[in-house]
Amino acid sequence: MSGLFGTLSVALTGLSVSQQEMEATSNNVANANTPGYTREVPVVAAGDPVEVGSLSVGTGVVLQKIEGLRDPMLLIQINQATQQNSALNASLAQLQQIQTQFASSTSGIGADISNFFNSLQQLSPDPSNLTLRQSVLTAADTLATDFNTAAQNLQTQSNNIDQNVVQSVSQVNGLTSQIASVDQQISNLQSVNQNPGTLVDKQNTLIQQLSGLIDVQVIPTDQGITLATANGTTLVSGSQSFALTTQASGGVQHIFSGSLDITSSLTGGSLAGLIQVRDHEIPSISSSLDQLAAGLATNLNAANTKGFDLENPPAQGGNIFAPTPASGVGAAATLTVSITDPSLIAASSDGTVGSNGNLANLSAIANTALANGQTPINAYSNLVGQVGSATAITSADADSSNLILQQLQDQNGSVSGVSLNEEASNLIQYQNAYQAAARVVSTVNLLLLDAVNLGMDAAEA
Amino acid sequence: MRVNPNPMPDLLAALNQTQLEEQQAELQISTGKSVNQPSDNPTAAALLVENNDEATFNSGYLQSMSAVQGQLSAADSTLSSVTTALQQALSLGVEAGGGTLSDSDRAAIAVQLQGIQSQLVSLANTTYQGNYLFAGTDTNTAPFVVDNTVPSGVGYVGNTDVNHVSAGSGYKLAVNLPGSQLFSATGNDVFLALNNLIQSVQTNTGIGAAVNSVSAASSYLSAQRVFYGNAMDQVESQTTYLNTAQLQISQQQNTLGGVDMAAAASNLAQAQTDSQAALAAIGKFSQNNLFDYLT
Repeated sequence: MSGLFGTLSVALTGLSVSQQEMEATSNNVANANTPGYTREVPVVAAGDPVEVGSLSVGTGVVLQKIEGLRDPMLLIQINQATQQNSALNASLAQLQQIQTQFASSTSGIGADISNFFNSLQQLSPDPSNLTLRQSVLTAADTLATDFNTAAQNLQTQSNNIDQNVVQSVSQVNGLTSQIASVDQQISNLQSVNQNPGTLVDKQNTLIQQLSGLIDVQVIPTDQGITLATANGTTLVSGSQSFALTTQASGGVQHIFSGSLDITSSLTGGSLAGLIQVRDHEIPSISSSLDQLAAGLATNLNAANTKGFDLENPPAQGGNIFAPTPASGVGAAATLTVSITDPSLIAASSDGTVGSNGNLANLSAIANTALANGQTPINAYSNLVGQVGSATAITSADADSSNLILQQLQDQNGSVSGVSLNEEASNLIQYQNAYQAAARVVSTVNLLLLDAVNLGMDAAEA
Repeated sequence: MRVNPNPMPDLLAALNQTQLEEQQAELQISTGKSVNQPSDNPTAAALLVENNDEATFNSGYLQSMSAVQGQLSAADSTLSSVTTALQQALSLGVEAGGGTLSDSDRAAIAVQLQGIQSQLVSLANTTYQGNYLFAGTDTNTAPFVVDNTVPSGVGYVGNTDVNHVSAGSGYKLAVNLPGSQLFSATGNDVFLALNNLIQSVQTNTGIGAAVNSVSAASSYLSAQRVFYGNAMDQVESQTTYLNTAQLQISQQQNTLGGVDMAAAASNLAQAQTDSQAALAAIGKFSQNNLFDYLT
C-alpha cells in the first residue's frame, strides 16, 4: 500500500498510538500514589514495511503492549525482608513490654530480695523485738507478692499473644483466599491474552501483606502461583487456598495445616516473632523466676526449721513460705508467706529468746548458691541482663532489618514507581507526536483535495 | 540511573529516628539515668541490681551498727557503775579492817556492804530495751537471783551464749558477754567475794583476805569489761568504713547508670536540630514538578 491513502493510514497509526500512549501516561499519573501500583509503559514498534516495487515502505507504528515495569527478584527479596522484619518487630514489641518489669534496680524482686535479707540483719541485734520480726514478715510478703505479680504479668502477656496468634491466623486465611481468587482472575485474563497488570499488582500487594504475618515463598507455576511456608506447607495453589487452623495445645494456641502442627516451624512474619516470645522467651524467664522463688522458699524454710521460735515454750521453727511445687513450675506465681505470727520466725538457735544464732542460717541463704548455682541476687541480676540483652539484640536486628527493607523498597520504587516529571516529559513527547501526526493528516487532506479537484483552489472547494 | 520518585517513606523514617533520639535524650535528662530499660545497657542494668543489693546491705550494716552501739554502751556504762560500787565496797572493807572500829560500826558497814551487794545484783540485771544485758541469750529472765543456798548468795540463771551480729560482709562481731563470765567467774566471783567480805566484817575475822578477794574480783571484772570497749571501737571504725563504702557504692551506681548531663543536653540539642532538619526537608520536598511548567 502506498500513495496518499497509504500516507494517511500511516499518520492515523501515529494518532492512535500517541493517544494510547497518552492514556497510559494518564493512568500512571492517576495512580501515582496508589500503593503497590507499578508504572506502565507503552511498548511500540515500527509497523512491518511493505514492498512497493523495489522500495520498502514503512506502515507506521504499532502499539505492541502496555507493560508493567516490575522486577520479580526484587519483589521476592522484599517479601523475604518483610517476613524477617515483621518477625523481629513483633518480638521486639513483646520484649519491650516484658522488660519494663525488670527496669528498676531499686524496686521489684531484686530490691525485695535485698530488703528481705536486710530485715534479718536488722533483727539480729535484737532478735526478740516483735516490731523487727514483723518487718521480716512484711519484707517476705512484699517479695512473694512481687514474684506473683511478675509471674502473672508474664502469663497475661502470653495469653494476649495467644489471642493475637489466633487473629493473625484468621488474617492469613483471609489473605490466602483473596490471593487465590485474584490468581483465578489473572489466569482468566491471560487465557484471553489480556494484560493482567493491575491484578498482578494487587496480588503482589496481598502477598506482601501476607509476608508481614507468616513466612511464604512464591513459586510461579503454569497454573498460576503457589505459596508455601518455609517448611513446605502449601497455603495457595493457583486458584485454591488452604486455610490454617488453631487449636489449644499445652496451654497455648498451636497452628495447624490440616493435622500437621506447624507452630514451631514458622520462620518469618509477625506470627514467628510472637511465637518465639510466647514459646521461648516468656517460658525461659518464667522458669528462671520459678527456680529463684522455689530456691528461696525451700532454703529459707529449711533454715527456719533449724532454729527455735519465740513461742512459750519455744518450738522448733516451721516453714516461712508455703512449700513450693516439687517441680518448681508455678513457684513464682504461687509464692506465699504461710505465717502471720512474727514470733514464728526461728531466730534462736537454742530456744532462748535473746539468741540470734539461727538468723545467721537464714541470712546465709543470701550467699548460698541456689538450684541454678547462683546466689539469689546474682540469679536475679543475670535474669535482668538476659532480658535486657534479648531486647537489645532484637532491637538492633529490627533496626537493621528496617533499613534493609527500606532500601529494597527504594530500589523497587526506582524501578516501578511513577515519576511525575517523567510522565510530564512523556506527555510532551506524545502530545508533539500527536500534533505532528494530525498535521500530516491535514496535509494529506489538502493534497487529496488538490488531486481530486484537479488543480482547483482547495480553499474554494 | 532512575531514582525512587517517592522518597517520602525514607524521609518519614528519618524523622521518626530523630524524634526517637530526641525522646531518649529527654528521658535521660528528666530521670537523670542513662539506663532506663534493661535494653539500654544490659550489663549495667544487671550490675545495678547488684549495686542496689550492696547499697541495701551497706546501709543495713550501718543501721545495725548503731543498734549494737546502743547495747554495747549500755552494758559498758553499767559495768562502770559496778566498778564504782566495788571500789566503794573496797574502801568500806579497808575501813572495817582498820582495827579501831567498834562492833556496832562494823555492823553498820556490813549493812552498807549488803546494800552494795543488792545494788550489784540490780546492776547485773540491767535491761536495755527490755532485754537483760548480762543473761547470755536468755534475755527475758533476770539472770541473777538472790539465793541463800549458794555460798555467794546470788545464783546465775542465764546461759553462757554469745550473740554475733554481722558488721559487714563476712565480718561478725560478738555483742555480749554472759553475766556468768563477768560476775560469777570461778575464782573471781564478785558476789562470793562480797558475801565473804560481809561475813568477815560481821565476824571481824579475815577482813584483809576478803578485801583482797574483792579487789581481785573487781580487777578481773574490769579486765572483762575491756571486751565492750574493744567492741565499741570496732563498731566505730566499722561505721567509718561503711560510710566510705556507701560513698563508693553510690559513685559506682552513678558510673553504671547515671547521666552525663552535659552530654545528654548536647545530644538533645543535636536530636532537635536533626528533627527540625528532617521536618524542613519533608516540608520543602518537591512541591514542584514538570507538570507545573506545562502550558
